Amino acid sequence: MTALAPTSAARPRALTFGNVWLSAVLVAILFIYPFVFGKTLNFGISTLLFAGFAMSWNILGGWAGQTSLGHAALLGIGAYSMTLLATPERLPPFLSSPLAPWWGTLVGMVVAVAVAAVWGWLTFRLQGSYFALSTIAVALVIRLIAINSNWTGGAEGLFMPDLPRPFGLDLFDRKVEYWLAFAFVLLTLVITHLIRRSRMGYALQAVREDEDGARALGIDPARMKLLAFMLSAALMALGGSLYALYLQAFEPHTILELPLSIQIALLAIIGGRTTIQGPLIGALVLSIFGEVFRNVFSSANLLIYGVLILLVTLFAPSGIMGLFQRAGSKLGTAR
Amino acid sequence: MDQVAVTAFFQTLVQGLLTGGLYALIGTGLSLIFGVMKIINFAHGDFLAIGMFITLALFKAFNLDPYLSLLVAAPFGFALGYLIQRFVLARLGDRLGEGSLLATLGLGLIISNTLLLGFGAQPQSINVPYAINTLKFAGVQVSVSLLIAGLGTVLAISALNLVLYRTELGRAIRATAQNPLGAELQGVKTSNIQAIVFGVGVSFAAIAGVLLMPLLYTFPTVGENYVTKAFIVTVLGGLGNLPGAVVGGLVLGVIESLGAFYISNNYRDAYGLIVFLLVLLLRPEGLFGRTVKRV
Repeated sequence: MTALAPTSAARPRALTFGNVWLSAVLVAILFIYPFVFGKTLNFGISTLLFAGFAMSWNILGGWAGQTSLGHAALLGIGAYSMTLLATPERLPPFLSSPLAPWWGTLVGMVVAVAVAAVWGWLTFRLQGSYFALSTIAVALVIRLIAINSNWTGGAEGLFMPDLPRPFGLDLFDRKVEYWLAFAFVLLTLVITHLIRRSRMGYALQAVREDEDGARALGIDPARMKLLAFMLSAALMALGGSLYALYLQAFEPHTILELPLSIQIALLAIIGGRTTIQGPLIGALVLSIFGEVFRNVFSSANLLIYGVLILLVTLFAPSGIMGLFQRAGSKLGTAR
Repeated sequence: MDQVAVTAFFQTLVQGLLTGGLYALIGTGLSLIFGVMKIINFAHGDFLAIGMFITLALFKAFNLDPYLSLLVAAPFGFALGYLIQRFVLARLGDRLGEGSLLATLGLGLIISNTLLLGFGAQPQSINVPYAINTLKFAGVQVSVSLLIAGLGTVLAISALNLVLYRTELGRAIRATAQNPLGAELQGVKTSNIQAIVFGVGVSFAAIAGVLLMPLLYTFPTVGENYVTKAFIVTVLGGLGNLPGAVVGGLVLGVIESLGAFYISNNYRDAYGLIVFLLVLLLRPEGLFGRTVKRV
């Protein structure tokens, strides 16, 4: 009786997709990709970056259950910091080194965490749709600042300057960018796995399911949500700096708009927000869909997001991963 | 203050009030939907875009006067909203809260991207000679189309009020808003009432789109700008509070107009957002709280 709880939790359950194996398989596929599809690296990089964004979003949106529709702002903070501080000349001499392009990323992550701390502190007392509304408003204010300031390049945005080559790596080489994006996804995936099994992960899930119940167990929901938001923001900013590298030039209209925030959230939700790999699966599936329909829909690429989110909401509330798990458990019981 | 400054002030104020009237019209639809169903319609701006594009298409095809498009756009919006409530939102059952956010986001994307496929991304406008005329009262100039829009807003909102407070349907709507189960027990078909309310809400957004069309350019994602205005208006007035939505609309219009004139035009959209955040954080029940009668 006493041994029952620990063993059932520790026993690896066959055919459930929430385990490390699915992550390993996905990572293996992404690792092989550039060797097989070397000609379509652009597709690979953007898929990876959006997978990373969706997984970063999911730390707040999935694990903590707070639907943010403003995450593009955090991505933008990373992109702007990276680009602005990428020239060694803009940095104090003792920081101008082969590592110069990355100081901006670090600064971006710190700024994003600080912004998230204030943002979350302000808005977490709001529930559900009210919280989503407030994230739109905060992100729009950040976007307006970017459009109307001189140091951000205003509405024209920024160009990535010539970059120093850290360790001889050409950062404009698509192969290098692919491995950077790959590392970003790997990092996000590892962090999500670590969170899930940690005290914080359980606390977050408790807060998501029942905030009052969690409070009764001695969890501070506000603190947990804030931690999740700050972690989510740091990863978003990191991904944003890689996105800037990939785009080489960007403007507020591409990198800070509401549709980008919505897109990131929907990737995670369509894939399955309560699972670790859901956002990754969502990004893979939607990228492939997007590529297949590109000629049909041209710039109306978000149509497929709209259709899928409607179908998922109506017929598969736990996303694509939910469908997998249902199929998996059916197989499991049939055996 | 000298004469010029006074005139400029009133000019800005009138401009703000008339624009605010349009915000009120958009916000009223959103607030009505929230009042009865307790959901926020994230596709509201895209329904407004539908109204604009119907006007544009009819003008291009038949050279139809933009204001006559109301006869098409209003019923079309109603039918669309009715069907969406019936076939999408009603199916969400007990997942309505989170589900409606996602479903309406999805619908919004479907609408804006379908418009993009059908009409292209170019900003388009229509030219009607009388719409660009201006009238002058005591030195204050007002464009005719903005005046017509203001008039249309007053008519639409008055009509809604008449229906809500003078008809049997209105009683049923108010009953459904207050207590769906109780209303059902009294023989009100609440599922039908909810579909009607969603239809009216969408119809109001479409009407606002028609009234805006002679004033502005349209493009498939034009709704984005207005959906945030609608959110601001409804939160200012208190979600689900119809008179509040009207006042909220006027307040937003005036804040934007005065801010743009006296502070900086670049941050026109920011003033409303900041007031919105402050109200959301400090008085989530809206500026006017419970002192104003609810639906």
